[in-house]
Amino acid sequence: MLGAFLAVAYALPFAVGIYTESVFFDLQWLADFTTVLLNGFMQGGVYAMFGAGLTLIFGVMRIINVAHGETVMLGAYMTWSAFFGLGVDPLLALFLTLPLAFVWGWFVQKVLLNAVVGGPELTPLLMTFGLGLVMIHVVEAIFTTDFRTIPYLPDALRLSENISVGRNRLISFVMATVISCGVYIFLKKHRIGKAIRATAQNADVAMVCGINIFHIYMITSGLAAALAVAGGALVSIQFGFNPETGIFYTLQAFAIIVLGGRGNFIGAMIGGVMLAVMESMISFMVPNGTAMVELAAYGLMIFVLLIRPRGLLGEKTD
Amino acid sequence: MSNGAGEIALSVRDLKKHFGGIKAVDGCSFELPKGRISGLIGPNGSGKTTTFNLLTGVLAADSGSVIYNGENISGLRPYQIFNRGISRTFQITRIYREMTVFENMLSASSMRVSEREARTRAEELMEFVTLTKLRGEYGGNLSYGQQKLLEFARALMTDPDLILLDEPAAGVNRTLLQNLLEHIHYLQEDLGKTILIVEHDMNVIMNHCEKIFVMDYGVKIAEGLPEEIQNNEHVIEAYFGH
Repeated sequence: MLGAFLAVAYALPFAVGIYTESVFFDLQWLADFTTVLLNGFMQGGVYAMFGAGLTLIFGVMRIINVAHGETVMLGAYMTWSAFFGLGVDPLLALFLTLPLAFVWGWFVQKVLLNAVVGGPELTPLLMTFGLGLVMIHVVEAIFTTDFRTIPYLPDALRLSENISVGRNRLISFVMATVISCGVYIFLKKHRIGKAIRATAQNADVAMVCGINIFHIYMITSGLAAALAVAGGALVSIQFGFNPETGIFYTLQAFAIIVLGGRGNFIGAMIGGVMLAVMESMISFMVPNGTAMVELAAYGLMIFVLLIRPRGLLGEKTD
Repeated sequence: MSNGAGEIALSVRDLKKHFGGIKAVDGCSFELPKGRISGLIGPNGSGKTTTFNLLTGVLAADSGSVIYNGENISGLRPYQIFNRGISRTFQITRIYREMTVFENMLSASSMRVSEREARTRAEELMEFVTLTKLRGEYGGNLSYGQQKLLEFARALMTDPDLILLDEPAAGVNRTLLQNLLEHIHYLQEDLGKTILIVEHDMNVIMNHCEKIFVMDYGVKIAEGLPEEIQNNEHVIEAYFGH
């Protein structure tokens, strides 16, 4: 059912494009389409990474962190500050920003969320909603609401005469893939990673097996914040941002984890890439498509929730 | 190995836990002899599993104390109690279904021991319960009996001194049960562990426990040797009525 729906969803931009005569199927159009798909795929790698952060928190604590996008936004400003304030390369700045992000996530969990985890679902939802607003206002107070950009490798890398990818997008994809794989391997192989997975599967059992789940929650939040800040760093070298852009990334992360399956790390990877490719297709083939991108993403989210609430790889009991 | 004759492993004093108007445990007191296998029995709803949950910190007691090694552990969190040397299994197995047998084992290792030590211990215990061949199998793919063995082995990962087994015979075939009981006796006789078993299977309780505690309506109504319990009027009344 979901497969059929997705096939229709991905065919729809083609149909609209053909109807509005913006799809030609000549060589130049196919080359442009390939370029768009490649760029979308690479953007998907970044989406997947920060989506994985949100799904990690949900999977382990059953908390919906509405401030996740604001942490992405914070990552963009941290990178901007490192670049313009300290003259540090945006990618090298990750060595500075990721540990800070981990500490931030740890701190938020220890001070705020550990007190409400396991309780009514609305409490952490409202708490993170409030936290997100505080983060927006603090960043506004420091940086104003002006849009910022980081000029970094803006030229394109030509793969053939007519097909190219942005260098910043390519390097972002590589970095996001490395970081995502690193976190995945950590979760699979490291003892703390195994403890995180054990806690996600059954926190009560984890506790009687000697796992301090509150400690695990703090590590998980730290990891999720690091993934979000890394996402922020990588989108900041591709797109403009201001304090309000975090909301957009929160909603994208929601769409990603709904599509991939809540709490499933690999699902978030797939969901991120699928969403970004869909966005690229719409912006390329549908007239005024750029304005339709968000509509498509959330339409996709709503229909997936209707048809298969557990998403592509989520658990049946979810 | 010392059998700890006469010593007390754990002392429960006036333990209470109420759920609204239901008195699940209502002033329960008993003392577990060190290095022995004891049994905790009682009709359904008598408060046995709640007592287990109170002893292991899964539930917080309303009042009363649990003294272990001279320390009141009532009110501690489950992982703190686990790290003090008390381990448990569950009535219905609770293994990590999406983790392999080996990962299940490692999940119960203390962070204070090295990864190499934890792996060696896990290998030994998998061998002990004959699960070595299934080390790479996901928990969810094991039979119920194998899950019981895995949970039992996992409970031994940190070499606990006190092991609480909640209905180890439930859903297990006779051969596997015999195997499990041999393991339990080895732990007690050769390693000096203290074991408390909650069980409905009276053959297991009467033939394998040296001391038995009987609960009914949240209170201890009797304690003694198996033959004493079998002839105790309060126990007969609790099980069969007047």
